[in-house]
Amino acid sequence: MGKKDTNVRMSLQTLRVLEAFLENPTVQLAGAEVHQRCGIASGTLYPILLRLESAGWFVSQWESIDPSSAGRPRRRLYRLTSTGLRRASEVFASFNRGVLA
Amino acid sequence: MSQRNEQSTQSRLEGVSHWLIHHAARQAPESLSSRLEEEWLADLQCRSTALSKLGHALGCCWATVVIVNEYSRVQVPAASRVVAAKGYITLADRNFGYFSLRSGTLFLILGLHATLFCGLITTLSLTRGLAAEPNLSNQVLNAVPIEITVLPGR
Repeated sequence: MGKKDTNVRMSLQTLRVLEAFLENPTVQLAGAEVHQRCGIASGTLYPILLRLESAGWFVSQWESIDPSSAGRPRRRLYRLTSTGLRRASEVFASFNRGVLA
Repeated sequence: MSQRNEQSTQSRLEGVSHWLIHHAARQAPESLSSRLEEEWLADLQCRSTALSKLGHALGCCWATVVIVNEYSRVQVPAASRVVAAKGYITLADRNFGYFSLRSGTLFLILGLHATLFCGLITTLSLTRGLAAEPNLSNQVLNAVPIEITVLPGR
């Protein structure tokens, strides 16, 4: 098995998504919540989430609720991994230094 | 009466949104299809208005196009007898021949423009040629008498 490619193309929208997660790195956010925080449209948001997940920056899991008792379907929750946290911090640090990652 | 119409319009829009998400998820790669459908439908419930739900559903359709494009570029299983015998699945880039998909599209657009331009030029030259033909016959014009009038005081 080859090593997973953790490089992600950085766009402004990707940075905004990462910023939303970096506000509280332990928080788990659904796509709808990321949309509310960043204002990124669904068509852009979900490919970014999948891209970051496949690169190992995010992990996702289903919300642990009973849909029938909660009265709503379970959501997919995303969370930063330790790799994602380190890489995202590096990216923002490089921006603060004025150097593109 | 108008409130009833509004409600029926909203329910129709929500129905369209649900259908769009089902349709978009079906077009997604098989391994992601059911997950994306459940995720998008759950996120649809978080939208308050019917129009924002429709916007979310349309966004999901676009997301599918992007995901399919990226997925097919990165993860196309290549059947290889040697590798398959060892139980591995290799990943290979989709090969578009000499050009990438983007370059191919660019050349296609340029080609269409060139064809259109050539067609336009040819049609115009033919039309002008037909119109100009009768004027090509030689004619000798009669000399026009010139009268010079001297104005008073000059």
